[in-house]
Amino acid sequence: MSRKLTLAIAFLLVSLSLMAQEYTGGVKGKVINRADREAVAGATLTIYQGASLVATATADQDGDFLVENLRDGSYDLVIDAPNFLQTRVNFAVVEGYVKNMFNLSMTQVKMVSEEDADDIAEFDPDENGYNDNPTILFGQNDVFNNIAGFNFSNVRFRTRGLSSESQEVYLAGVRMNDAITGYGPFSLWSGLNEATRTKMSVNGAEASDYAVGGVNGVTNVPGTASYVRKGLRGSVLTNSALYRLRLMLSYASGPMDNGWSYAFNVSTRLGGNDWIKGVYYRSFAYYGSVEKKFDDVHKLSALFMAAPGERGAQMAATQEVYDLMGDNMYNPNWGYQNGRVRNARVRKTHEPIAVLKYDFTPSERLSASATVLYRFGKNGYTALDWNDAADPKPDWYRNLPSYYLFENEDLQRYSEVKAAWVEDAWKVMRDPNITQINWDRLYNVNRNNRDEWGRARSKYIQEQRHVDQRDLNFAASAKWRAADWFTLNGGLSARINRTEYYKVIADLLGGDYFLNTNNFAERDYASQESRYQNDLDYYIANGKAQVLHKGDKYGYDYLAQVRNLTAWATGRFAVGRFSSTLAGKVGYVSFWRDGLMRNGLFAGTWESGAEVLDPATGEVLTSYDPQTGEAISSYGKSRKARFFTYTAKANLEYLIGGNSRVYANVAYLTDAPTFNKAFISPRTRNTLMNGLTTSKTFSTDLNYQFSGSGFNFRGTLYYTTIKDQSDVMSVYDDLQNAFTNFAMTGINERHMGVELGFKVPTPLTGLSVQGVLAWGEYIYTSNPRLTQTVDNSSEVVVENEIVPYWMSHPVYKKDEAGNYIIDNTGNYVLDHHQKHYVPATPQFAASLGLAWNHNYWFIDASLDYFAKSYLSMNPLYRTDATTAGADNIVTPAEVEYFAAQESLTLKDKPWLMLNLSVGKSWYIQRKYQLGFSLNAKNLLNNKDVRTGGFEQNRIVDNTQNQYQYYRFDSKYFYMSGFNYMLNIYFRF
Amino acid sequence: MKRSLILLIAAAAALVSCQEWEPVFTGKYPAPKNYEQVILEPTMTIAELASMYKHGSPITFDWESDAIVSGQISSSDQTGNFYKSFYIQDGTGGMEVKVGKTSLYSDYKEGQTIYVKLAGLTVGEYGYKTLKVYDDGPSGGSGMVQIGYLYEYQEGTEPEYETSYLDGTSIVDAHIIRGEFGKPVEPVVLEEKDLPSRTATLADCPYIGTLVTIKDLVYADEIFTLVYVDNNKNHKQSSNRVFLSDQTFGVNTWAMSKNKFLEFLDAGYFDEVSVGNSGDYNYGTVADPENKESIRRTATAATVSQYFKKGGTEVVIRTSGYAKFADTEIPKEVFSGVVTPDGIKRATIDVTGVMTLYQGTIQIVVNRLEDIVVNEL
Repeated sequence: MSRKLTLAIAFLLVSLSLMAQEYTGGVKGKVINRADREAVAGATLTIYQGASLVATATADQDGDFLVENLRDGSYDLVIDAPNFLQTRVNFAVVEGYVKNMFNLSMTQVKMVSEEDADDIAEFDPDENGYNDNPTILFGQNDVFNNIAGFNFSNVRFRTRGLSSESQEVYLAGVRMNDAITGYGPFSLWSGLNEATRTKMSVNGAEASDYAVGGVNGVTNVPGTASYVRKGLRGSVLTNSALYRLRLMLSYASGPMDNGWSYAFNVSTRLGGNDWIKGVYYRSFAYYGSVEKKFDDVHKLSALFMAAPGERGAQMAATQEVYDLMGDNMYNPNWGYQNGRVRNARVRKTHEPIAVLKYDFTPSERLSASATVLYRFGKNGYTALDWNDAADPKPDWYRNLPSYYLFENEDLQRYSEVKAAWVEDAWKVMRDPNITQINWDRLYNVNRNNRDEWGRARSKYIQEQRHVDQRDLNFAASAKWRAADWFTLNGGLSARINRTEYYKVIADLLGGDYFLNTNNFAERDYASQESRYQNDLDYYIANGKAQVLHKGDKYGYDYLAQVRNLTAWATGRFAVGRFSSTLAGKVGYVSFWRDGLMRNGLFAGTWESGAEVLDPATGEVLTSYDPQTGEAISSYGKSRKARFFTYTAKANLEYLIGGNSRVYANVAYLTDAPTFNKAFISPRTRNTLMNGLTTSKTFSTDLNYQFSGSGFNFRGTLYYTTIKDQSDVMSVYDDLQNAFTNFAMTGINERHMGVELGFKVPTPLTGLSVQGVLAWGEYIYTSNPRLTQTVDNSSEVVVENEIVPYWMSHPVYKKDEAGNYIIDNTGNYVLDHHQKHYVPATPQFAASLGLAWNHNYWFIDASLDYFAKSYLSMNPLYRTDATTAGADNIVTPAEVEYFAAQESLTLKDKPWLMLNLSVGKSWYIQRKYQLGFSLNAKNLLNNKDVRTGGFEQNRIVDNTQNQYQYYRFDSKYFYMSGFNYMLNIYFRF
Repeated sequence: MKRSLILLIAAAAALVSCQEWEPVFTGKYPAPKNYEQVILEPTMTIAELASMYKHGSPITFDWESDAIVSGQISSSDQTGNFYKSFYIQDGTGGMEVKVGKTSLYSDYKEGQTIYVKLAGLTVGEYGYKTLKVYDDGPSGGSGMVQIGYLYEYQEGTEPEYETSYLDGTSIVDAHIIRGEFGKPVEPVVLEEKDLPSRTATLADCPYIGTLVTIKDLVYADEIFTLVYVDNNKNHKQSSNRVFLSDQTFGVNTWAMSKNKFLEFLDAGYFDEVSVGNSGDYNYGTVADPENKESIRRTATAATVSQYFKKGGTEVVIRTSGYAKFADTEIPKEVFSGVVTPDGIKRATIDVTGVMTLYQGTIQIVVNRLEDIVVNEL
């Protein structure tokens, strides 16, 4: 039925009723989502008597509806809402009364939420400072999020180009974004889809009832027993892009007469996938919650959950390697050990969360709650480590043909013959001892490395890097409906986080022991044993380096201590068709580093203030920061970084009729830098970055939303600036055999664009056309300052220097022959400045599709297109020193070569994707429900989509006779080709 | 209803059991086996291989060749004094095998027998210079015959070496076959008469390229080190070269790490030295601020040749600046002597190392510092 017709009938009926006023009977109620008990705004209600249409109506923003002027009799009420299954109920009007149906619940159609928020392939984040956490969009009742959330997750789409830190996520009213990194916490409850299904979220800069929020939406997972859907549910799922098998079981009692409710949820995810070898899941999850409602006023709830397990990770590679392997899904992280596949990089976690929540509802107008939440446990990530041996990675640049063909002949390794042989080994022989990690060799090297006592000192080991959090949170909030036109929310929260960073020996790989020494420092300070000790205190006490065995801590060990206090309030005003929200928040953040292992390079001083001396030579080991004059120390407490933050928000909304509204938000907020972006080299020293300050974000948006009669539309214009951000990229540099740290301050960004989402019914019953468009420009607007350090050396390589080609680079005019034009004054002629973009998300994303649902069937098909995605930049390539090269002269060609930003979307390889979903459910004996959903993604089998990647933070500077430095090839991650997810579920 | 249920389950079973990649093993990994120690039959001795080579004409073995040379490894790069190569010896002589990898001692152990399949490899010489006799003595002479790979160079550049490194795991593993482990090679003790002449080859002296011990060496108050004004610029240009030679300059260490070099540089040890090749001293001295700043900025570790005498024969102990013991001082009684009732006396040393010839000069490269033993006065 076309929209015009619907409206016409509606008007006709209304006008008829105005004229007639014959009957006093009617029907009223509230339409809610069965999943989260939230109102379904804009649901269409159609009332039939027999076969004839009697009336239509639309539920308002709160899901409420009222249809009057019905004569006594029996009626059929049909409720439709986008993305919900059609619901039919019978009712009768008796003696002219308005029948109250109370809550009419609807079931969401799509199994979108079966997609776990954490179900993205685990990409190695550690070795490159690269992080590509997408922002997770939740369907709920927003047409844009609903479609984009389902279709865009594969390409790691970020809403408005903003990072996951900007999206606030709450559990039972407690902000759960990681205390150290600010990242979204979804991995903590991955696999517990049923327990965490109910979510309330707002978009963009809107404030919510439980928090003021940031500029990229707020999501709250209530999490306690009464929010879990009642009944027993089980599902079997396979996902060809992630894991073979997921089994899940949950049960929730719902609120019982005695005031108790309880719920549990367990699951397991196992196996590898069709695309990337070496990647696997061996994950489990458990959840239990009880709730006791003592009376209408007091309620106490508790929950305990965790998602223990391990996941093998995937690592990016250069295009050369992908081409050699003929496979963009190649993963260098694994190899054969005794003929069995072993992944070197495995994340192993068990981080339980315990929550105790008290709700206090003394009256209809006042409610309050207080939550205590504690997160603890272990989070480890394995990696290979080695001492005095060659890099064991198969795709190490020296193992590739290009190493012999490098354009710089000064390196004296040019050899077409060798290149051909090496290429043959990769491309033709595909010898897994060459193309993958050769575990057998590592064992043999270790076993044969005998010391003078005949014991095998391991050269290669598997280390496990730990980031173990102890995170204690307290949050209290209250909601007071002071008057019909005014509601006040407010709250307080406090957080104490103590996170220990350390690494342990996970596997000696056939050797007997490893030494707690620093290989790189040993090269520099060969004659000074104390300098290359990772644990100087042990060395001083015992006169020798610590001998390490499996499970021993080594390398580094320090605490991140974070303290956080927040107070906030929001006030909502509603007058007529206008409503407005004002929100404010103040916060205090302090953090410091507390070193637990004294490193020989950064000995600091003893507690007494005395300098640390070399026990052998008496030489002073204490070194001093040339700027502050303070001793540089790896041990003990750093200075405390303290920040006051605040947020101010305003929202204004105007209802245009019952179906549409226009609203706008303005927000200004300051955020403290996170711990992981505050120290120049946290593994080795207490030194805070220079010029550390709060980031300042301004954001405004204007929105129009329409929803009714099967139509759904949202359009948003947004503009956001973020200033004074800091960042630390920690990169493993195999030339130095050490982590190099690039600490940057003063990074500014600007994000603006448009979001559109729509769903339009067609004349064909149950068939709609739907689509989204996200088109923005996310750019850098400043040249930050850079400090570069190496973990294993006291040298500060670059100190607080401007990175001149970060936000853009000049492009100079060329003549027809491609040579740069020089004007009369001998200067190059500027053509324009090329902008540089915030990376790793498409800045243009569009989807157009059809959705059909009828009689418990649904079929969705969509075609997605993405463009304008850029590679993450490293600051080193944008410095004067790099562009100048060995001869110290900057040329336009060098600037273009180094500073230009690479695009991830290539013209000849468009990111075009076709997705199809089919689902159906059956009711058996009206009691049980059985159903399935099948999501087939990327039906065109597009294997050329680079979802992310990074530049290697290295230059080839070993040049003579040459006028420039050279880049190392960038590394990329690719999206899987065709993949499917099949879910079969039953409910009692 | 029932039928669709069955269909559904069947479909699910089909999908779950879909062709699986090799799954990742998540149990306890069994330890890999030890490498098989291969035994091959060498087709020629090291001396025979060396005798095939003629100055200036590197030999590249045919791909079909079945030539194999074998020997026990006598060197180790563990301390960093050897770099990207090891020496093998078979009783007829010793020879360097150039393998372009670091930490070679991880895979190739001292005393282990190695078989080199020569097909496709190149045998060439390093360090040969025509012998000339000047007023102050002879210069030039033999270098060392090495096993390496074809030396390719890009058009328009001059070939600098006769061989390049075997490189790339697949290439190395195809040519260098690991045989049985063995006890480290016993050095042969050489007297002065056993030492090679400036133009000697393995035909004249079977000890070249092998592990030897030379006793009672006396320090000769002379070093040789080449450093560059700007390490990033052309190493061939006279204006970029600084020769530290003919005296000690106070360099009392076996070599100089970067830090040690900078320490000596800043102490002014090399201030008087002129920049440039012999006879081309037109570029000022090290002390010139511009030169010194550039040297400091691009400094690297410096390899040092410390001169000794065995009787009347010059023997150089050559140590890499990257060796772990580079900065170790030469004991005072050796370097400058100590006062005794009989006047100033110098202690002698016994050295064990691989004996090589570089432009006719005998050079000893030690595996480790313990291979230099100071004799009591």
